[in-house]
Amino acid sequence: MSLPSGHTMGHTDQVAQRRARCSDIYQRRLSSRSEKVNPGIHSSSHQQQDGEAAMHGAHMDSSVRYTPYAISPYNRKGSFRKQDQTHVNMEREQKPPERRMEGNMPDGTLGSWFKITVPFGIKYNEKWLLNLIRNECSVPFIPVEFHYENMHASFFVENASIAYALKNVSGKIWDEDNEKISIFVNPAGIPHFAQKELKSEKVEKIKLAMNQQCDVSQEALDIQRLPFYPDMMTRDTKMASNPGKCMAASLHVHEENIPMVMSAVGMDKWKGTEPGGKCADRSPVCTTFSDNSSNINSILELFPKLLCLDGQQSPRPTLCGTEAHKTLPTCKGSFFGSEMLKNLVLQFLQQYYLIYDSGDRQGLLSAYHDEACFSLSIPFNPEDSAPSSLCKYFKDSRNIKILKDPYLKGELLRHTKRDIVDSLSALPKTQHDLSSFLVDMWCQTEWMLCFSVNGVFKEVEGQSQGSVLAFTRTFIATPGSSSSLCIVNDKLFVWDTSHQGTQSALFTLVPTAFSSVPAFSQEQQKMLPS
Amino acid sequence: MDKRRRALTRLYLDKATLIWNGNVVSGLDALNNFFDTLPSSEFQVNMLDCQPVHEQATQSQTTVLVVTSGTVKFDGNKQHYFNQNFLLTAQSTPNNTVWKIASDCFRFQDWSSG
Repeated sequence: MSLPSGHTMGHTDQVAQRRARCSDIYQRRLSSRSEKVNPGIHSSSHQQQDGEAAMHGAHMDSSVRYTPYAISPYNRKGSFRKQDQTHVNMEREQKPPERRMEGNMPDGTLGSWFKITVPFGIKYNEKWLLNLIRNECSVPFIPVEFHYENMHASFFVENASIAYALKNVSGKIWDEDNEKISIFVNPAGIPHFAQKELKSEKVEKIKLAMNQQCDVSQEALDIQRLPFYPDMMTRDTKMASNPGKCMAASLHVHEENIPMVMSAVGMDKWKGTEPGGKCADRSPVCTTFSDNSSNINSILELFPKLLCLDGQQSPRPTLCGTEAHKTLPTCKGSFFGSEMLKNLVLQFLQQYYLIYDSGDRQGLLSAYHDEACFSLSIPFNPEDSAPSSLCKYFKDSRNIKILKDPYLKGELLRHTKRDIVDSLSALPKTQHDLSSFLVDMWCQTEWMLCFSVNGVFKEVEGQSQGSVLAFTRTFIATPGSSSSLCIVNDKLFVWDTSHQGTQSALFTLVPTAFSSVPAFSQEQQKMLPS
Repeated sequence: MDKRRRALTRLYLDKATLIWNGNVVSGLDALNNFFDTLPSSEFQVNMLDCQPVHEQATQSQTTVLVVTSGTVKFDGNKQHYFNQNFLLTAQSTPNNTVWKIASDCFRFQDWSSG
């Protein structure tokens, strides 16, 4: 299936376009949420040629029901199909999108729109990507409303069998870096562009006809009434029109998910640690804020990822339950047990990293229990022979899978706050990106909070200056005196995403190349597996 | 997890919770269902570390923090690097001590790509 103009993009054109696209990625990501998509205009040049084949393909599929109410109020498969074809052939040349007038049938069932998503498709030029998919797809299709949403590329198709055929393309196409391209398919309610269509003059006539059969009192079809996958749809549509609402929705959903174990436990011990409380001992870790609401807002502004992560879920790779094999649950963003705990933890992290990144970590003494424990690790990768920006962490790395020396095992587990802070002070200077933080609050009792923070930081001095590293840090803390948390266990795990070839989940910082590093010392070599 | 998935929940306390890539699973029944829905897996652990949890946090219930990392391949999905943390708690009987998972936190390092 070639483009109507007969033009296929040359290889260098594609690469150049893709590179230009890559430099626009952050720009687009920021603007994509508020982007107004133009209904029906986007792929109109393709539609006329593709439309015929698509219609033909669609008619072969007896499970899809078209409902051209302008023609006939009847829904029976047999009788209206012929009329449908005639009507479509006449109308198609003038206004292809008009055909997509189906919505809620009189009996309340759905039309057949599907949203096709290419994860990280923002890397790809639209024409290049669609061509690639077309070449592999067993049926022709009309991509409607192609757009970039966060890091992904999406478009809609209006047919279950086409959607299924597209789903089969997943993993069978590769980009120029030889990376497999996945395609996710989800049922969609009536996309907003189709809703807009419904407001046209022509549609008013249709509604008059529909009114004879059912009560269509509202101006536009209400997408909220659609029963399927409300989470998916409301998040998508809300995101596009109102990111603020999306945040609120995400927070709300998470609060509903508080497991019984956590909520049943007495929260009294933690209530004293609300932001806004005064600190008697004026420890640097404990900050007083005069106004509760502005405090929360200012904290939340530092952690945008924590609020919007739900909207960035990967779509599930299933199609209306037709999948036979098991699929992984959708990955979600931060989890806090409650609003109060969220504020508590965010405030703690803000204060902790302010000091941690300040150049003088001695200020952290008051954050730790006298007998706290700390250890750190970096990954052990047998194929990892190249020195990396992680080498400065190597000598402190405690990995008991490979470390057998009991003396070293003991040494590398720092005990007492003095020991811990001295050890932290010897680590490279850093700048953490709070906006990259993702938090899992995974255990909470009356006496302790256990949470893990995932994020990135930059090294700000030395040979690896500018290197971006990823980390997961697990804290176990008890309620401290005077509205603070007191760390009893601290476990830091640092890794280098680019070195491991992992596609970083955190896009706020661009990784830089490694600097060259000296060879390992004798002490370090002793720790390597023999 | 890899070879005897059905026996996995025996390692968990009745009221244990798991946070799996941000999804909360709470209690043995839910855990059973959850592990049942996960595709078959092949884990490779590359890093393992642990710390004793201070008794002030546990009210003298002996507890250990275990942190691990490596790679995992779930059937039908690409390989991921993962981080996983456990809180293990000792259940002592007159005859022996059994360690059980009180809490479990699992995340792909590249969680946002699914």
